[in-house]
Amino acid sequence: MPKLARDTQHLLLTVTPGVLCILVFLVLPSLYLMGMAFLTNGPYGLPTLPLSLQAFRELAGFGFLGWSPGNLYTLLRSVWQTLLATLIVTLIAYPAAYYISTRPARWRALMLLAVVVPSWTNQVIRSVGWMNILAPGTPLADFAARLGFIEPQMGLFPSQFAVIIGLVYNFLPFMVLPLYAAFEKLDMAQVEAARDLFASPLSAFRHAVFPQTLPGLMAGVVLVAIPAFGMYVVTELLGGGRSMMIGNLVARQFAQASNWPLGAAGALIMIAVTLIGLKVLRNLGRRLGGDREVVL
Amino acid sequence: MTHRILTTLALAAGLTAGIQPAVAQFEGETLYLFNWSQYMDPAIIENFEQEYGVEVVENYFNSNGEMFAKLQAGGVSQYDVIVPSNYYIPRLIESGLVQPLDHDRLTNLDNLMDTFQDPSFDPGNAYSVAYQWGTTGLVYDRGALGEMPASWSVLFDPQMNPDAPFAVPEDSQVSLGSACAYLGHGYDCQSREALQEAARLMLETKQRDNFVGFIQGTPVLQQLVRGSVSAGITFNGDYLFFKSEDPEGFADIEFVIPQEGAEVWVDNMMIPARAPNPELAHAFIDYILRAEVGAALSNWNYYSSPNAAAIPLLEDILQEPPITPTDEELAVLAFTPSLEGEDLQFLQQLWREVESR
Amino acid sequence: MSRGRLTAFLRGFWYALMLFLYAPLLVVVVFSFNSINSSARFAGFSLDWYKRLFANDVIMQALWNTAVLATVSTLIAVVIGGMLGYGFYRYRLGRLSWLVWLIYLPVIMPDIVFGIAEMTFFVLINQWLGILAPGLGTMIIAHVTFQVPFVALLVNARLLALDPSLFEAAQDLYASPWQRLSAFLLPTLRPAIAASFLLALTLSIDDFVISFFTAGPESTTLPIYIWSAIRKGVTPEINAIATLMIATVFLIAMLSMLGGRRRRTSDT
Repeated sequence: MPKLARDTQHLLLTVTPGVLCILVFLVLPSLYLMGMAFLTNGPYGLPTLPLSLQAFRELAGFGFLGWSPGNLYTLLRSVWQTLLATLIVTLIAYPAAYYISTRPARWRALMLLAVVVPSWTNQVIRSVGWMNILAPGTPLADFAARLGFIEPQMGLFPSQFAVIIGLVYNFLPFMVLPLYAAFEKLDMAQVEAARDLFASPLSAFRHAVFPQTLPGLMAGVVLVAIPAFGMYVVTELLGGGRSMMIGNLVARQFAQASNWPLGAAGALIMIAVTLIGLKVLRNLGRRLGGDREVVL
Repeated sequence: MTHRILTTLALAAGLTAGIQPAVAQFEGETLYLFNWSQYMDPAIIENFEQEYGVEVVENYFNSNGEMFAKLQAGGVSQYDVIVPSNYYIPRLIESGLVQPLDHDRLTNLDNLMDTFQDPSFDPGNAYSVAYQWGTTGLVYDRGALGEMPASWSVLFDPQMNPDAPFAVPEDSQVSLGSACAYLGHGYDCQSREALQEAARLMLETKQRDNFVGFIQGTPVLQQLVRGSVSAGITFNGDYLFFKSEDPEGFADIEFVIPQEGAEVWVDNMMIPARAPNPELAHAFIDYILRAEVGAALSNWNYYSSPNAAAIPLLEDILQEPPITPTDEELAVLAFTPSLEGEDLQFLQQLWREVESR
Repeated sequence: MSRGRLTAFLRGFWYALMLFLYAPLLVVVVFSFNSINSSARFAGFSLDWYKRLFANDVIMQALWNTAVLATVSTLIAVVIGGMLGYGFYRYRLGRLSWLVWLIYLPVIMPDIVFGIAEMTFFVLINQWLGILAPGLGTMIIAHVTFQVPFVALLVNARLLALDPSLFEAAQDLYASPWQRLSAFLLPTLRPAIAASFLLALTLSIDDFVISFFTAGPESTTLPIYIWSAIRKGVTPEINAIATLMIATVFLIAMLSMLGGRRRRTSDT
């Protein structure tokens, strides 16, 4: 058998099941969902012909009331909560990743594992944990009430505060891992030189450490912000009535309110915002990193 | 709790006395029941399983919207019996999600009271048979709020409750209906202006610091007894059910029908259009329609029975408020309007606005 | 800040972080042994919740479903994904190189979008062909689909780290492809396969959203059970169920640690 033909045969043999699986059960359903966004909402929430942009108009807030800002609020709130959570995650992950990289080699794997293991438990269970801690009457809630942050009868959950905690808790490991990888490769000679050159540790960090860890940071931002933006569980379980994100808006059209085209349009917007976010990060990374490719 | 054991025993005795061999036709089959949580006596399920030699798989929903969405998401071919409320019945029929009932298979249909024999939402019981009926009212913790009037102002007037946590259901029609009643338009308000006003009130209410979220009638009771919620909207039977389970915890928790108007509802058994086993579904509905089963059901879940033949077997507690409303209460109770077409979409848009802001 | 003070600060920070990461899990475990149903007050040690849990048929069925879903989908995904990662590495794809991008699709697709896409697609297929009714089957398909790309990436990365001449040597050494597979490829890839098995397993255990949207009446898993219990407001056994799942995850973590240690000793 000629080598080329045999190679093709092997290629088909090894690649076909996986490619088929992804094409049939991921690409095809996604295309169907995207198509659904351009159908009309039937009388009871299922998509019908004709093709129309009705779902997008509704999503933009146009309807029986003229224009109303609810969905826009939800989108902006999603972006805001994602950015805030990503910022907090970064502030926690930087020192943590650096600290791990300074420990003796035999400890590092264990420490990384310690950071990652909580994220292996189920999302719902992690939220249950925080419900236990933040509920009314728990020591933490009592403490917050004594400080005057909340009314004595209220808990710290459900609230937007609880949602942010939940987001940070869920995605922290995704930032620690890439940052650690960056710190591990850190060129200490450069850092030492910078320490000699600049008086303050802060400017040493800015000029020597930060540029070197930038690729790790950017990878971390991608890994944190994308799933945080699409969050559903944390907002449903830990949020009250004022912290809804676009993932909840989309899910509700299929799980409670029945408006499939609107939900599909929302899903499309989610993907679009995600792609735009990636693009922005790419450009940002390139600017900060002096024209080096740092994202993806 | 003792009364429940007694009725269960009575039920079991009644069944063994009249064991029918005729039901072997379903031996080994499975019935998929999609019901509200805390709504079905486990003993009734066990007895049905034994008598018919079948297995019953129970799944639960917390709101009509959830049930409707689940049917659309494939449930239409996976459940044999569903239990929607009156205002969802026309839209279930029109969207083709349910199938007509075969009255020849429902030998006990005549047990229903006259009121339920030909309901406005399903003339002639073509698709549905009443399961239980009850009311939806205000529930609050006297310990946290003090003595309160029978009024929706407990929820919607910030002066009545400036700082104790409260919730309203995620069911748009029930929440907006209650707001409508508070505004003086009646619980069953339908004009767009009234609904819009109610939605605005709901938005303001939602922005209050002590609003904790959208919580349905059954779970809100659990939160009340735990103290994480001090006021909400619930159902009369669930209230009495949990109160009888935990009299101490519920000593200060009050259920009232607000004088501005509130909901009376009927939940009904229906069969999804592509149910896996419609014959067994009919047999189950007919079983629930038996006098002693209907009575056992009400005696367990504390809701009013639509079954005339079951009335003599009901406990006394079911014959008085809050289960049997007083005449004054009956005067202000109304069905939730059954919406369709643009009216339904209008309401859904309003509610989306309330939820998302 | 001097170096010593920085280190001291970082150590304190690290302990605070560990508290933040483990407090929620610890609280769940501790309160699963509480004699009363409260997360505010610990009244005394008891195994009541566990007794109730093991006596509850619905929970036991959910436990079984969870185990079946995780192991079956992981096994399938490791085979399919491993082959995919190998195929992409070994054979030049030429005009098919765009296929590699398929692997990155799940990374940019939010869970919720994926879950809903699967759900609506299965409904459509079910209406047309009468197959793929929501249940354990559709859940396994959905899980395999999001696990495969991760397995492929891991195996692919491991292969890229190998010396390409190894493959030529293997080609000379072993005549048949099967020999090459069993004597060279599988042993070489064993760490990558083990790692991708654990990764796929944790992906499956971690998932709620996709399971939730593809589940049927008889395929409730533990997370779905907990979710609906919270929505119903009936929460007594939840901490005990969650503790079972936390314990499973720690078992996996220990396995992966042992695996990592063995790998390091065998490397030297």
